[in-house]
Amino acid sequence: MRFVRNILLAIVAVFALLIAHYTLPQHDVVRVVNTYQERQDLGDWTRIFWSNPDDQSGTLVNRDVQFIQTVRKKSFLFGFIQRDAEGVMVYRNEDTGWRWPPYFKFDTASLQTEADDLRSTPEEPKWAVMTHYGWRNELISAFPNAMAIKPVDGPKPTVIPWFNIIFFVVLIALLLFIRAMWRQFRERTIDPALDDTRDAWEKVDEFADERRGRVSRWWRSWTGR
Amino acid sequence: MIGAIRLIVFGFLALSVVYIAVSFYSRSIRREKLEDAWAEDHPGVDDSPERDAYIDEGMIDYQQGLRRKLILLVYIIPAIAIAVTMFIVNAT
Repeated sequence: MRFVRNILLAIVAVFALLIAHYTLPQHDVVRVVNTYQERQDLGDWTRIFWSNPDDQSGTLVNRDVQFIQTVRKKSFLFGFIQRDAEGVMVYRNEDTGWRWPPYFKFDTASLQTEADDLRSTPEEPKWAVMTHYGWRNELISAFPNAMAIKPVDGPKPTVIPWFNIIFFVVLIALLLFIRAMWRQFRERTIDPALDDTRDAWEKVDEFADERRGRVSRWWRSWTGR
Repeated sequence: MIGAIRLIVFGFLALSVVYIAVSFYSRSIRREKLEDAWAEDHPGVDDSPERDAYIDEGMIDYQQGLRRKLILLVYIIPAIAIAVTMFIVNAT
């Protein structure tokens, strides 16, 4: 039982971490190369990796999506350890609107303009910090969604992930609060109720014992056994 | 805009569940504190009309107090968080 429980808990934990890794914002140091707009088919299961920027978009089978092509500084440990190596990264640029994830992004067109403004060449690079969420997967054509772009001086800026710090502090506080609530509820409501039920059950049990005693005595009085 | 209305309606319902849970918790804590205070001042007197009156009075004070109204922050804080997120994501 404990083994099964641990396996289930591990699966839940892995899912929670995956959702957090997909949804929470991360920062990349990038140099914008180009931006483009392309019609995307949305008819299959990879729909979950595209946004629903407004209510009509939920039923469309295809629509235009804006993209930002960049050269990106690679990093280790979710961007905490910066490296000199470079790779490429293509971001989609879509509104999240009022839906999940709750970033309430409505400034897609402005962001595309800012990205266009930051275009640069390898000879004269203009570095910027790209805030984004989501995963890049070439196999199923999934792209991370760009949320903000901010010019920085060099390729090694200091980035403090304020959003994630606040998010995890609030999350831990909430979990501790829920735990306190649950303990109070158990101590003051469930345990007394269980005590009552136990008392009642003991009475039933005693009564049954007594009846059984009487019935079997009566039976014995006939059979003599 | 339908999205905004949907968020407001379902957000309000979800936060109302939280509000009710937190109010129950807060009342329970208050009552427990009153019981403990009584037990400390009157050791051995567990079940008396005076004790009931003392606890009822404390609970009425709580009903009229500021702490109970602070639970309304359950609605206000998420609304502020959404407004701040919208501002930071879109305006800066």
